[in-house]
Amino acid sequence: MILLLAAASFLLPLWLSSANLTVYILLGLYAVTAIGLSLLMGLAGQVSLGQAVFFAIGAYTAAVLSLHGLSTVVALVLAPLLAAAVAAVVGVPILRLRGHHLAFATLAFQLIVLSVITNTPFLGGGLGFTAVPGLGIGKATLSSSLGYAWLTWGLTVVVMVVTLNLIRSRPGRALRALATSEAAAESVGVPVVRYKLAVFALSAAYAGVAGGIYVFFIGYASPGSFPVELSVELVVMVVIFGLGSVWGALFGAAGISVLMQVLNQVGTLHGMPQYMPTLLSYAAYGLILVVIVMFLPAGVLPGLRRLWARRPGGREDPMSRQIAPPIASLRSLLRSTRPKTTRADGTPSPEQTRRQ
Amino acid sequence: MSALVEYLISGVAIGCGFALVGSGFVAIFRVTEVINFAQGTFAVVAGFVAYSGLTSAGAPQGVAEALGVLAAGALGLAFGGAAIGRKHTSPLASLVITLGLAVTAYAGEIAIWGDQPISFSGLQGDFVLAGAHLLRQYLLVIGVALLVLLGLGVFFTRTYLGKGMTACASNRFAAEVVGISVRRMGLLSFALGGLLGGFAGVLLIPIQPLSFNSDIDLAISGFAAAIFGGLRSFEMALVGGLVLGVAESLVGGYVQASYETVVALGGMLLLMLWQARRRVELA
Repeated sequence: MILLLAAASFLLPLWLSSANLTVYILLGLYAVTAIGLSLLMGLAGQVSLGQAVFFAIGAYTAAVLSLHGLSTVVALVLAPLLAAAVAAVVGVPILRLRGHHLAFATLAFQLIVLSVITNTPFLGGGLGFTAVPGLGIGKATLSSSLGYAWLTWGLTVVVMVVTLNLIRSRPGRALRALATSEAAAESVGVPVVRYKLAVFALSAAYAGVAGGIYVFFIGYASPGSFPVELSVELVVMVVIFGLGSVWGALFGAAGISVLMQVLNQVGTLHGMPQYMPTLLSYAAYGLILVVIVMFLPAGVLPGLRRLWARRPGGREDPMSRQIAPPIASLRSLLRSTRPKTTRADGTPSPEQTRRQ
Repeated sequence: MSALVEYLISGVAIGCGFALVGSGFVAIFRVTEVINFAQGTFAVVAGFVAYSGLTSAGAPQGVAEALGVLAAGALGLAFGGAAIGRKHTSPLASLVITLGLAVTAYAGEIAIWGDQPISFSGLQGDFVLAGAHLLRQYLLVIGVALLVLLGLGVFFTRTYLGKGMTACASNRFAAEVVGISVRRMGLLSFALGGLLGGFAGVLLIPIQPLSFNSDIDLAISGFAAAIFGGLRSFEMALVGGLVLGVAESLVGGYVQASYETVVALGGMLLLMLWQARRRVELA
């Protein structure tokens, strides 16, 4: 089944028109970024509303280095490394924060980075870079979209294999444990701080490499290419089919990308006002996010699976848990029933401290 | 000297706007423990409704603004219903819902008012203070904001409803026991948050034009103001708003206007980290 899907998606670019090929490539790049975010939010329970910043850092690293004469391949290798390094440095203070504090901090970090880029002429300022060279070694450059499509396909496969193995490994279980309770995880010997930092850096690396390919493919990067809306978009992709699941992130990225393409075509139909595509995409993102989190907080697939199990005479398939183990941690993230005396960020409220 | 006075007064005026947005965060968070990401949306919608009232409905100044504030309050109630209406929605899930609502609101705002920045003139004219020419609107913003916050203080200490909300804020369980509906108080707190955000919107829109996505900047600044008091104190939200507004204005005036946001955001980050550290030390 999986092999079939892989083969089909590998061969698909051969039949796509050039416009659809662009959608295919961006879909893959968003999927890679979304898988990283899913790992961070679903598995490790750390909310990030600024994940697009690492996509931007990857893109700018690749663009700046290659425009200064460095080999594009080397630049592409350095893009995820720098993104991960930035995440590791910023993560030390930021990951002390929890819940909504972390959400605002990551968002603030993205806005700060975008503002700094806009104000730094070396980084292209507000106008950004144009004419970023295509990816290639020496004279042989990747000029066709088809090449980028297969490169993206390969990257997606590698990232999925790595992530699926990570989830099943010992660190993966440790991350799930710390998402449920950091104190409990710490007490059984999980190095909580180091693991949180590592998964933050890994998710940044995924975003960074995707950003690198993005800039070589598009050939252009400006602060406006990586707005806060992109971060929200990534959150929607991750939440829709089930937070913390690699396949969920992949299908989320695919579903949203295709939906947006359809809406874009509807919005640009003859006679539509100029702002129609933007309007439709905002409405879709917003409503999807609201409806999913309100009614199917575990995501569409697990939610439907649970409904199916609840049908008359049905029983819950014990395998469903094993296929998608991280979903349990999502439930703990979105539906945690904390004692009422703790604050949203998990620290004891003043009343509680006073009573002790 | 006159430049300094100008930066200070305009900073205080903007800061009062931030404080109003921040008070909205506080009002909602205290009762529901939810961070309402759509707090900036209330301000934007109130400003837009007031604009429509002035231009297309021909309502007199003052009435149009009041309509805007009321619309924001109603919107707050509706958002609250979505964010905390269903049982067992965790505060973090509610945050994501309000984020979704804010994005959905973009669509509505674009559909009705288009995607260009909107502004209208508020209080006309200017006055001279210590050699600096200042907009009268600044005084209006400062005056109204202080009155609203004062009214908020009276509401929470002198009325049954306000005391009920404070009771929910300090101990939900005990509040339920004595017959206060925590859920209804939560919804009311969202309406209150909407009103407060609405005041900020109608007061600020004559000074700085708002567009549909101005809500992120407003929400971030308001959150930064609210975080001064750990999201629980209205007085500290006012202090936070003023500090933030003046700091932004001074940086914008003396250093470079484009660094305003960096200062605000950086300050907010440092403050949050400092608070988190202190919490760890206390524990």
